[in-house]
Amino acid sequence: MRLKPSFALVLIAASLAGCKSKPTEPVVTTETSSAPVFYHVDAATAGSISGTLKYTGKRPTPKLIDISQDPTCVKAHKGKAYDESLVVDSKGDLANAFVYIRKGLEGKVFEVPTTTVTLDQSGCWFRPHVVGLMVGQQLIITNSDPVTHNIHSVAQINREWNHSMGPGDAPLQRKFTKPEIMVPVKCNIHDWMHSFIGVTDNPYFAVSKDDGTFKIENLPPGTYTLGVWHEKLGVQEQTISVSPKSDTPANFTYKGE
Amino acid sequence: MPSPRTLTCLAILPLLLAGCRSRTQDNPVGKPIAIKAPLGLPPVPVPADNPATADSVELGRRLFYDKRLSSDNSLACAHCHDPKFYFTDGLRLSKGVNDQLGVRNAPTLLNSAYMPFQFWDGRAISLEQQSVGPIANPVEMNNAKHEIFLDKLKDDAEYPKMFRKVYGSKEINLVRVEKALANFERTLLSGNSAFDRFQYGGDQTALTPAQIRGLAVFLNPAGGNCASCHTIGPKDAIFTDGKFHNIGQGVSGDGDFTDIGRYHETKVETDKGAFKTPTLRNIAQTAPYMHDGSIRTLAAVVDFYAGQGNSNPYLDPEIRKIHLSPQDRLDLVEFLNALTGDLPPNSGPPAK
Repeated sequence: MRLKPSFALVLIAASLAGCKSKPTEPVVTTETSSAPVFYHVDAATAGSISGTLKYTGKRPTPKLIDISQDPTCVKAHKGKAYDESLVVDSKGDLANAFVYIRKGLEGKVFEVPTTTVTLDQSGCWFRPHVVGLMVGQQLIITNSDPVTHNIHSVAQINREWNHSMGPGDAPLQRKFTKPEIMVPVKCNIHDWMHSFIGVTDNPYFAVSKDDGTFKIENLPPGTYTLGVWHEKLGVQEQTISVSPKSDTPANFTYKGE
Repeated sequence: MPSPRTLTCLAILPLLLAGCRSRTQDNPVGKPIAIKAPLGLPPVPVPADNPATADSVELGRRLFYDKRLSSDNSLACAHCHDPKFYFTDGLRLSKGVNDQLGVRNAPTLLNSAYMPFQFWDGRAISLEQQSVGPIANPVEMNNAKHEIFLDKLKDDAEYPKMFRKVYGSKEINLVRVEKALANFERTLLSGNSAFDRFQYGGDQTALTPAQIRGLAVFLNPAGGNCASCHTIGPKDAIFTDGKFHNIGQGVSGDGDFTDIGRYHETKVETDKGAFKTPTLRNIAQTAPYMHDGSIRTLAAVVDFYAGQGNSNPYLDPEIRKIHLSPQDRLDLVEFLNALTGDLPPNSGPPAK
C-alpha cells in the first residue's frame, strides 16, 4: 500500500495525538486510603449476650445421607452420615443457627482478627457445617480425605468461586470482601456436602451448639438488632439492650411441625 | 507502474531470503517411505521440505537416543520421552542435566506428529521446530550454543556417514538434526487400541459394557463434554482439538497463575492459564497428569472435571457444562483405560 505524503503526515499527526491524550488525564491523588481508625472496646464496660435456640414441635428424625456412591467416602466418614440441615436434640435445642449483630454497630470499624478460620473436608463432609468469620479474615480450607473434593462457594454478594482440591493438596487460603449472610458452600463432586459461612463486618457472631446455646462476648453496651439465620427455618431478629458489664439473655424459638 | 527503486527491492528480495537459509541442501534425498497410520489414526502430515526416508528416520532414532545431545553427555531426548513410559518420563516435572527441575510435565511423543502445535504453550508449530528447544534449554539439555553438541556429532565416526546418506553430503548442521529427529518422531504412532477396534474396526466386543457407557459419557455435551476438546472424528481420533484451553489448573486464590501457559506466546490476556489440549491416547500409561503433573490418577483427573475445574476470569465455558454422576466417573475412567494403543515398532534404542 502506498500513501500520499500529505495523507501519511495527517495519519502520523493523528496517531501522535492519540498517544498524547492519555498521560494528560488528571491523576487522582486524594488520599482516601489512610489507615482506618479501629474501634476499641472498653473491657471495663463490655457486656455479653447469651441464649438458647429452641425448636418446638416434633423432633425431626435424623436423616441418614447415602454416601455409598463413593466407597472411599464411606471408609473415610467413619460411621453413618447424618444430615445436618436441621439438628435438634431430645430437649428441642436447635444447633447450627448463626447468631449475629445485625444493627447497632454502624460507624464502628473493627480490626480484622489475625486468627484464621478453618473449613475442613473430612470423611466427605464439610466441618464445621456452619461457621462465621469477618470480612478480610483468613479462611483456610483443608482436604483431609483421600479423594478429590471441590469447594464451590456459591456467594451472591461476594465473588462466586469454585476450586478443586486433590488429596494431599496444600490448603486453600481465601478471604471474603463483603458481609454476606450466608455464603453457601458445596462440593460439585459429592452433592451431599454442604456448609454455610457467615461473613460479618464485626466480630460479634456465634453458631448455636448442639445444646442450642450461643454466647457473644465483649460487646460495647448499647441497643442492637440481634439476627438469627437457620438454613431450613429461616431468619429471625430481636432488639436487645446490652447493659455495661452484664450478660443479657436472648432466646429464640422456631416453630416446627 | 512500479518505480525503479521498487524493482530493485524486488530483485534483492530473493537474495536476502537465500541468505537466511544454509547454503547446503538440507532435505532428505532418498526415496520417501510411507508412514503407515495404525487403526484409528489419520494419515501422518509430512512437510514438503522434510520427506521421511528410511535413512532419515534411522538417523533421527539414533540422535533421539544419543546422550551427547546434552551438554554433559548425561541424557538423551529419551530421558524425558522414555519408551518405557510411553514416551514420557513418569515424573511430575521433568529433570534436565544436573537434575535441574523443569516447570512442566513431559508430554508423550506418541502421535505428536498430528499436533498443530508443540509444547504445552504451543511455542513451536512443527516437530522440526520443537526438537531443538529442549536441546538448548538450560534446565533440559543445556547447550548454550548448538555448536557444542554439533561438534560432538561431527567428531563421531558414524554420524558424518549417516548424514551423507540422508542428505547427500556429510555436513552436520542444526537444520539437519531437527529434520531427522522430527522424522523419527513422525513414526511414533500408537493406535489400534480397544477403542479403535470398537469404533473403527467394527469389533463390538472390544470394549466392556462399562467402557461403552464411558464413551457415551465422554461424547455427551451435557455429561462429560470431554469430546468438545478431546475430539473423536468419524474416521479417526487424535483426542485433541490441538487448541488451548483454560481449565483453571494452577490458579491461586487471587486469580494468579503459577504458569501463564499460552499467554507466554500470544500475550493475549485471555490466553492466561490456557494450555494445549493433550491427546488422551495412552493416557492410562502416562501419569501424572496436567501441564504441571499435579494430578496423580485418572480418577482424580475425572473428579477435577466433575468439580468443573477452578474458577478464574478466563475459564473455558465448556467446563461449566460438565455434569458427572458417580457412575459416570467410574465409567469414564474405564473408557480412558481403553485408549492404550500398540507401541510403534522400531521405536526403541537403535542397535549399536
